[in-house]
Amino acid sequence: MRTLLQNGRILDPAQNMDRIGSVLIENDQVVQVGDVELGNVPADEIYDCTGLWIAPGLVDPHVHLREPGSTHKEDIATGTQAAAAGGYTTICCMPNTNPPLDNPALVDFILDRSASPDAGGVFVAPVGALTRGMKGETLADLAAMKRAGIVAASDEEFPIQNANIMMRAMEFCVQLDLPIMAHCEDTNLSNRGSMNEGAMSAMLGLRGIPRSSEEIAIVRNGLLALHTGCRLHIMRVSTWGAVEMVRQLKFLGAPVTCEICPMHFALTEDMIGDFDTRYKTLPPLRTQIDIDLLLQGINDGTIDCIASDHSPHASYEVDVPFEEAPFGTAQLESSVAVTLTYLTHKGILSPLETIRKLSTAPANILRLEAGSLKPGDTPVAQVTVIDPNLEWTFDRDKTFSKSKNTPFHDFRLKGKSLLTFCGGEIYRDAMFGADRYQIVTSA
Amino acid sequence: MTNNLLGIRQLDIDQIETLLAIAADFKVRIIEGRPVPKITDKVVGMLFFEDSTRTRVSFEQAAHYLGLKTANFAAGASSMSKGETLKDTILTLRYERLDGLVIRHRMSGAPNLAARFFAGPVLNAGDGMHEHPTQALGDALTILERKEKIEGLRVAIVGDVEHSRVARSNAWLLTKLGASVNFVGPRTLMPPNSSLLPGRVYHDLEAGIDGADVIICLRLQRERMAEGLLSSSGEYAAMYQINQRNLAWAAPDCLVMHPGPINRGIEVDDFTADGDQSAITAQIENGIFVRMASLYWVFGGTVAEVMA
Repeated sequence: MRTLLQNGRILDPAQNMDRIGSVLIENDQVVQVGDVELGNVPADEIYDCTGLWIAPGLVDPHVHLREPGSTHKEDIATGTQAAAAGGYTTICCMPNTNPPLDNPALVDFILDRSASPDAGGVFVAPVGALTRGMKGETLADLAAMKRAGIVAASDEEFPIQNANIMMRAMEFCVQLDLPIMAHCEDTNLSNRGSMNEGAMSAMLGLRGIPRSSEEIAIVRNGLLALHTGCRLHIMRVSTWGAVEMVRQLKFLGAPVTCEICPMHFALTEDMIGDFDTRYKTLPPLRTQIDIDLLLQGINDGTIDCIASDHSPHASYEVDVPFEEAPFGTAQLESSVAVTLTYLTHKGILSPLETIRKLSTAPANILRLEAGSLKPGDTPVAQVTVIDPNLEWTFDRDKTFSKSKNTPFHDFRLKGKSLLTFCGGEIYRDAMFGADRYQIVTSA
Repeated sequence: MTNNLLGIRQLDIDQIETLLAIAADFKVRIIEGRPVPKITDKVVGMLFFEDSTRTRVSFEQAAHYLGLKTANFAAGASSMSKGETLKDTILTLRYERLDGLVIRHRMSGAPNLAARFFAGPVLNAGDGMHEHPTQALGDALTILERKEKIEGLRVAIVGDVEHSRVARSNAWLLTKLGASVNFVGPRTLMPPNSSLLPGRVYHDLEAGIDGADVIICLRLQRERMAEGLLSSSGEYAAMYQINQRNLAWAAPDCLVMHPGPINRGIEVDDFTADGDQSAITAQIENGIFVRMASLYWVFGGTVAEVMA
């Protein structure tokens, strides 16, 4: 079986490649990239990629699959299907399930379920809980979970408040060569807030989450990483000060990386309007000045990668008073389009840098076998084909995710992932024209 | 046509003036023993998810004068305590064929949510730290009676502005009608960013009430001390109490108001609360007439019909 992705713009940050060419997948492996020599044997199927991008399969370092425990929001099957439709071939799932992902048996369960035939066909790389039960008290069995396959450890939405416990966790993770992914928040400063502390929270009479809540935790965790040598991945930065703190930590030589979520560079707190819970996320949506400086940080590389922070919730959980609503929104199927619309088409990122932030960079940070088109770099072919110029309207009723709590419903977006290959084809969008696909029948 | 009354911020000047005109007319009729329009074919649900005495009684009185029937609903005794969501409670009441809802809730924005799922009008009787529109209307009616107009008045709102729905609704209403508003209080009880609120912030009482025509004192909740926002009620009183001494900084005929319940000796001293410049009891009484006007207005009543 030979599959030819023909005549696209190949964007592979792993090889610093940006050129027009083709990609040949033989059985489940990428075998040629660029000028493809077919030899005497024709390809079995041809995808015409003229005008499209051919990129390494996208990598999402931050996804909530909700299984086990909250399968009314999402499960591993629907979440991985949504990932495939969103253009991803590798996703990292967060440990804040019920029970929390804090032992090797659950790691096995996740890997097992994600490899099942009813799942979406993408690789799932689990992130284990840093402390037992994510209670911030005693370390989880990190060594055993590492052997079982976790790629990082995190207490996600329950960030460790005790700096001493965080330091001990980092020391142990250095030994295990395991990165820590940290949601950075001083929960005393957040003080049960539900949106950004600012003019909007004052007007709406909602408790605010100050910027300092995030920035102080970034500095604390960053300095602990500097002194212990632990690799620290800072999740979802949202304030101008956070970007500046990360910049300073990198200047000091701290082994830190960070991610941003599309909501935080595309939307401001104003979207909340009159208590619209679809815009409630953590950290909260901030203001235009934050976005201006976040864009600068994305452009200059301070912000390493883009994570969806896909956080599905059922409608009945979201149709409640604002303060009662859970944080987070469904993102997997809009992230790429929002990134292209708000970053690439606005000149913040070149096409090659766009793919770096969506694929190669998160793969490198978490040392995943992904993010490259170079033959042999990944266990099976991982390729995503994107139409950068397709204009479409995002419709939450046409998504694979169980949850419809998206902030981008009815948004006009420019750019869409159309084909996803992980081994073979795992997703083909209806907007990929039928005339672009051809099965070659050898006479 | 029906209306909601979710907050003052969304109302335009015409709507506010309509409500105040209807309330003033109802007041005269009630006091003179003349009939008011009746809405006997409607039933209004009274949903008080948070304790309230005065607002609840005031709405009950207003409904009584209009001939409206009320259906009472106390959160503790209801299905809410069995885990039902607010949305389902609202849907239930909708299909119980209630015509309108009066809702008080400890969460800001809860009435906005209720309005999404209820078919008829929804009136906000106080939501979290957001708005308390009928309190502001009653206060405006009181100010109008004593000052004849609101335009050009200098109003100081003194106390815990950050946590006060009364402060927000009053500021919106009074500035829409042409008054200027000062928010006066300690930094810890002020919103950190008040740029979307219609008032200037003062931390010094003397500067904040300088030349004020109206002072609205806000209630100081005891939790504020436990939260570390204030050292003691004594310190607060020493810095922000409205009393005979510092009333001299305001205009000579300055009106002193308080939405209640009062902590006597803290926000305001006895002599001032009971003195000639106090409008506190008038506020309570006027609350009834503006709630009558609100109920009448949300069901489509107009000024012309009242005057006819």
